[in-house]
Amino acid sequence: MEQRNSVDREGRLRVVALQLAFMVVLLIVWHAIVAMGFVTRYLVPSPVDVGKAAYDLFQSGVLWKSVGLSLYRMICGYSVSLVLGTLLGILLARNWVAKATLGSLVLALQSLPSICWLPFALLWVGIDERAILAVVILGATFSIATATENAVRNVPPIYLKVGQVLGARGFTFARDILFFAALPEWLGGMKLGWSFAWRSLMAAELIRQDALGIGRLLEIGRAFNDVPMMLASMVLIVALGMAVDWGIFGVLERQVRRVYGLEK
Amino acid sequence: MAIEVKNISRTYHAQNTKNGKVAALGPISLTVREREFFAILGPSGCGKSTLLNVIAGLEVPDTGEVLVEGRVVDRPGPDRAVVFQEPGLMPWLTVRENVEYGLKLRGLSPEERRERALQYLKMVHLTKYADARPHQLSGGMRQRVSIARALALEPRVLLMDEPFSALDAQTRDLLHDELQRIWSETHVTIVFVTHNINEAVYLADRVLIMTAPPGQMRRIVRVPFARPRDKALPDLGIFAAMLHKEIKEEVAKVAARELDPDWTPASPQQTLDPAAGI
Repeated sequence: MEQRNSVDREGRLRVVALQLAFMVVLLIVWHAIVAMGFVTRYLVPSPVDVGKAAYDLFQSGVLWKSVGLSLYRMICGYSVSLVLGTLLGILLARNWVAKATLGSLVLALQSLPSICWLPFALLWVGIDERAILAVVILGATFSIATATENAVRNVPPIYLKVGQVLGARGFTFARDILFFAALPEWLGGMKLGWSFAWRSLMAAELIRQDALGIGRLLEIGRAFNDVPMMLASMVLIVALGMAVDWGIFGVLERQVRRVYGLEK
Repeated sequence: MAIEVKNISRTYHAQNTKNGKVAALGPISLTVREREFFAILGPSGCGKSTLLNVIAGLEVPDTGEVLVEGRVVDRPGPDRAVVFQEPGLMPWLTVRENVEYGLKLRGLSPEERRERALQYLKMVHLTKYADARPHQLSGGMRQRVSIARALALEPRVLLMDEPFSALDAQTRDLLHDELQRIWSETHVTIVFVTHNINEAVYLADRVLIMTAPPGQMRRIVRVPFARPRDKALPDLGIFAAMLHKEIKEEVAKVAARELDPDWTPASPQQTLDPAAGI
């Protein structure tokens, strides 16, 4: 047991080392190509230029303001879609009338990229913060609903039977058994919903022109022909997305899976 | 009478039959006595699990009713505990919390729950693992916890649905002896569904042999051996072989329906060896 764990850790370390080495090589190759003058410098800046641009954004305080605003929108929009999506998902899983009627609607709406709601949202609620929130909410709600529905449906029947014979009914059953039995898959849905919300927010921020945000930084960079700033914003978008994906959802998921014995 | 089964029958929906229905069980009537160990034996698909689920209150029969200690069964209740083939331990709870959960729903105080959970974990020899997670236990240990969880409710009737059929033979042997001891200590009435003839003969006071589906009573056999029983006793094997012949006829009926018309049962010499499968 002990030995197997240490072998696992060694293997994981090796993978991480390889990933880091790959990144470093990529940066070196990128830098070399730019430094040797194969490309037009102002269209393709070197990693150093991008680093400088990021530092400038940091120095001027624009970076934190943008990050703060974007994350604030995410937290507001995502919380709403988490509640809405989960309730909708439970309804779809437990009620066949809802499944037959709302179910197809949810599927249809899921195939519509949420940014397509923006023009509609702008007309409907006006050019303000609410339009962005609407796009974020619509971006995540349906995927969370679908994932929640599947999570509830895939609860092994044995837990339903065990719950019944132990005397858990109604709300008690939902709180003590259904919730925990569906938790691992539901967390996966939450993670998926977050990444959908993130994409929707970036698209919405790119298009809206009157408020700061990370997506906005990218668009400002374009307006000033500042490619290093554009790339710095893009790196920031990736970094933030990954930080939440791994740092929050990844850790939560792994923790749950370990307690449940679904992985070591 | 601990359990009275009166004229129970059950049909299921099926697509490939004429009227869209398939008769799974019954009609069947029987009684199980107080403190009896009653085994239900039959070919697969004969509705033995359905019968158990009806007694548990997990399924509603099309006709008839079940009385447990004089009360009509219409839903699962605290007088009946069930052990399924899968242990079904909740992985988000520790072993002790799994045993305590049903007691919590009954409104016992934390101290009472804890005490009673440990008492029944002791009965299955797993107090050492009280604070472990279910996934840290072997299949046999999990089934022990499942039995402790059922017994902790201190039910009048313990219903067991092929509880040992997913375990390896050695673990199963061990648990047979444990169950026999637990039954004599607690004097709970046990209804035990199995397709394992030796298991039924070793454990039960009486064995219900069911027919090919829709499962009806073929007959009820009293097992005439004193307890504690010894698995190595040749009489047990001979008795099991007798039942084996009856079960085989029912299994052959099922096979004849399911397989090509050119199928015939194998010759009896091959299977009537009394020493087989002890």
